[in-house]
Amino acid sequence: MRSRARRARWHWGWIAPPVLLAALIAGTAIGETRIPASTVLQVLGNKLFGTVYPVARIDEGIIWNYRLARAVVAAACGAGLALSGVVLQALLRNALADPYLLGISAGASTGAVAVTVAGFGAGALSLSTGAFAGALLAFVMVAALARAAGGGTGLQAAGVIVLAGIAGAQLFNAMTAFLIAKSANAEQARGIMFWLLGNLSGARWQDSLVAVPAAALGLGVCLWHVRSLDAFTFGADSAASLGINVRRVQAVLIGAAALVTALIVSLVGAIGFVGLVIPHAMRFLVGGRHRLLVPASALAGAVFLIAADIVSRILIPGQVLPIGVITALIGAPAFAAILIRGRARK
Amino acid sequence: MNTKTALLSAALLVCAGTAQATDYPLTLENCGQTLTFDAAPARTVTVGQATTEILYLLGLGPTVTGTSVWFTNVLPQFAELNAGIPRLADNDPSFESVAAETPDLVTVQHEWHVGPQGIVATREMFHDIGVPTYVLPSDCASKDNSRGSDGTRSEMFSTASIHRSIEELARIYDVEDRGAELVDELKAREAAAIEHARALDLPEGVSAVFWYSSAEMDIDPYVAGRKGAPGYMMQQLGIENVVASDEEWPTVGWESIAKADPTVIVLAEMTRRRFPADDVEKKLEFLRTDPVAKEMTAVRENRIVVMDLQAMEATVRAVYGLEELSAALAGLDLQG
Repeated sequence: MRSRARRARWHWGWIAPPVLLAALIAGTAIGETRIPASTVLQVLGNKLFGTVYPVARIDEGIIWNYRLARAVVAAACGAGLALSGVVLQALLRNALADPYLLGISAGASTGAVAVTVAGFGAGALSLSTGAFAGALLAFVMVAALARAAGGGTGLQAAGVIVLAGIAGAQLFNAMTAFLIAKSANAEQARGIMFWLLGNLSGARWQDSLVAVPAAALGLGVCLWHVRSLDAFTFGADSAASLGINVRRVQAVLIGAAALVTALIVSLVGAIGFVGLVIPHAMRFLVGGRHRLLVPASALAGAVFLIAADIVSRILIPGQVLPIGVITALIGAPAFAAILIRGRARK
Repeated sequence: MNTKTALLSAALLVCAGTAQATDYPLTLENCGQTLTFDAAPARTVTVGQATTEILYLLGLGPTVTGTSVWFTNVLPQFAELNAGIPRLADNDPSFESVAAETPDLVTVQHEWHVGPQGIVATREMFHDIGVPTYVLPSDCASKDNSRGSDGTRSEMFSTASIHRSIEELARIYDVEDRGAELVDELKAREAAAIEHARALDLPEGVSAVFWYSSAEMDIDPYVAGRKGAPGYMMQQLGIENVVASDEEWPTVGWESIAKADPTVIVLAEMTRRRFPADDVEKKLEFLRTDPVAKEMTAVRENRIVVMDLQAMEATVRAVYGLEELSAALAGLDLQG
């Protein structure tokens, strides 16, 4: 058993960089407009290896500043969301747990919509600042409610935070609906829809300066706590019996998941399904041990979001779909297939 | 020719010269609904700047008791008049605020304000309380407002739809002479603008994009589809729109726009500040700093035209927009 796990770990260690690289190259090569593969390679050569192929500056800009930056941001966001899902599913021992469970995305959406529609701080506050503020506010409120409701350790506490999350999500969804009903017009509805369903079209290199550290933070915290995560899957009491400081570890892990999600939502909007589906899919592939599950989920989340973004750009020619539509369209059937295969195996 | 026909011809000639008074009750078809007027409306509420300005141009300012939906400043000659009329809302007014004015007629620029999912209310809701609604034909004839964010046009916008709005409103308010005069004036200006535009004899392959705004600074902008007022201007000038969509204001990625590398970029100027990109300065800043947008020929050669938003919409000002654009193009070097 142990040797198999170790072999699998090597397996993942070797497979991750080339798979991620291939996904990034695909994200860079495929887009709204047709740019020859040779041009793509020449631009990458010029930028990465100092070659001096003559390339049109617009092509160079599109490939380097739009597509590659977008693919990098997508990868980081996909990894971050998947890791948040891993953490929440382990800690809450709830198969349905994902970053949205805690109302974080609902809060982010409310913040974004408040800035757009109600014009709070118009000009001074950007959509993403509003989203970030909303996400953190929602998380703090949900955490406070869970605490006030007697959330401590154990299975019951996990249930309390799930319920608090549902209440928080409902509250923030209602506020979003209120703001939209109050004053959104057709034009704003378009901006809001892109926000509620996620949108990577504004992703640039400066966004990667937030997205990549956020994903790295998520990965680092998860890898540091792989043993605790394993222990939590058997319940907080077993974790405590293994000598784990349950409260501190819970706070660190949930806090990290909330922060990572809030940062991601503030950058690219509320992209659903990644945090829910990817950890489940990876559990079927590599098992439930977090030493493998954590890196596998990060990689799969990254590749999945890059792929979903590619599909969102090419599915309808001349029109970019919100990426949340694609993650659900691909994610839901894939999830169903995994469920059915899992049952067949049993 | 007998005496009877001679008299009839003479009568017709007189009629052609001066429009006759409206014969009430007046019944007319408007965007799929039948409206009946027993007398000229004495109180009007407007939903949409374009319809407000048509009423002002028809000399009907005194009948307007409330206005709404303002994206830019009113036409300068009406600044004083407009300042004295209550503005129910800068954007979308509520149903009750409109109803509270007890208007005899509500005139509407955009069908989506009073359409089946009307933001203000549905037309039926107004008609149920005995208030007729008149929607500008330029926003419903040859346009499907149930598809696309701002509707989708099946035919190119034509100033004939504006003339029709003016003539119909003139009949409703019994000011047909003023209506005919205004239409003649607009037709003359349009003919002159088209002549001026054609005389420019622009080189082959000139293309343009009209940028309205963006929900956020970096994301896909709303730009003019090919069949709205900007499409009409480009057609008159022989310019190609880099956007192929029939939607009124589709969202198109910067990658597609940059790759098409338009010869000219036209920026919408408005006083509304709902999105950062409503500000022309912000749009210019994006164009000059975005790593890809700044490489577009139009940006490098500074071939950027700023145009009032009302002139980019299906309004009386579309003709002014054509005048502005052809004047601006005359001053640009469009080679290369």
